Amino acid sequence: MRTLVFIPAWNEQASISGVIADVRKALPDADILVVDDGSTDATTATARESGVLVATLPFNQGLGAALQTGYLFALREGYDYCAHLDADGQHPATEVARLLEVIAADRADLVIGSRYSDPSAVTGRDDYKPTFSRRIGTSVFRFFLTLATRQRFTDTTSGMRAANRRVMSLFSENYSPDFAEIESLQLAVRQGLRVEEVPVRMLERTGGSSFLTPVRSAFFIFKGIVVLLVGQFRPRHAEADR
Amino acid sequence: MSSLVLAASANQVHLTARTRIVAAILAIAFMLLILELIRSNRLQERYSVIWFVAGLGMLAGAAFPGLLEFVAELMGVRDTNVALFSILLLLLLGLALNFSVIMSRQAAQITRLAQERALERARQQAEEDSGANGSAALREESLESEEQGF
Repeated sequence: MRTLVFIPAWNEQASISGVIADVRKALPDADILVVDDGSTDATTATARESGVLVATLPFNQGLGAALQTGYLFALREGYDYCAHLDADGQHPATEVARLLEVIAADRADLVIGSRYSDPSAVTGRDDYKPTFSRRIGTSVFRFFLTLATRQRFTDTTSGMRAANRRVMSLFSENYSPDFAEIESLQLAVRQGLRVEEVPVRMLERTGGSSFLTPVRSAFFIFKGIVVLLVGQFRPRHAEADR
Repeated sequence: MSSLVLAASANQVHLTARTRIVAAILAIAFMLLILELIRSNRLQERYSVIWFVAGLGMLAGAAFPGLLEFVAELMGVRDTNVALFSILLLLLLGLALNFSVIMSRQAAQITRLAQERALERARQQAEEDSGANGSAALREESLESEEQGF
């Protein structure tokens, strides 16, 4: 069984090598692909030096497009499972390995690493401290996504996920470039895929800075609600190759 | 748009003969401009249809002033000028929306193009790496799945 771990990165030269080393250690058999979303720093060069595959997008197109690039690569290169994690060092690779176990056991098609669904119960101390605007956004999205999918999600914007080939073929064709995380969950549930959350431990960022200022957060939240609303009216396709 | 200003300042229901002539000339000039843009490859045919329809509408309005009154009557607007402006406003709104649709489509195409290029380079890199140290990471069934994908 071949596994691809891909890491979307935008100007993450400070933290990318550490993340790659972490993934190598936790998942020695997995291939690693860094998707450089048009970085202006040395992200691509740094990742190359670590000896992993790098897909460099010619210009910045947002997280959704970068993630889709990873899913597309996994699908075309015939990987059985894939997972992705953030490049800023928030996501321990050992937790990604746990998500992949769920996929490999075929208990779900898509697994989300959630920092909120009571991580202390499973993995000990929670090192993650969310900011205020992050907390508001999280609860708003949680509410609307749960409403839209009738399934309970706690960490809707989590960038730590693992998936099988069903999800790869869905996401490589339909993935919102603007609102990757939330709309993709809604889409997967509507397509009848099994989406599951697994509690994980997350860390403070090791490099870069969060893009969420209060004004941007408000806009982000508003956009998210609109996107979810529109998503409810998208056609439900019969599932492709179950 | 001088015809509109004239019509508005006259503040009467019927268009004068002069306004009609000016409007007709403008409409014909407009359509000629569209033709010229297509001929010189600055405008693609598929994006010109909507502009031709707009030009024809202008011409029809100039040729048959009764048409405008009829439309105003249909809309329940007493003042034909208001009807005219409303129609123009709606037309422009429709055009702007049309552009957004085209823009979205092109943005999606550009994204896919960028992704294809990024993946192509990653694949090249993988081949080079496997040539260098012999540890091939990628299977060569990739071409088959590529054809299925699209």
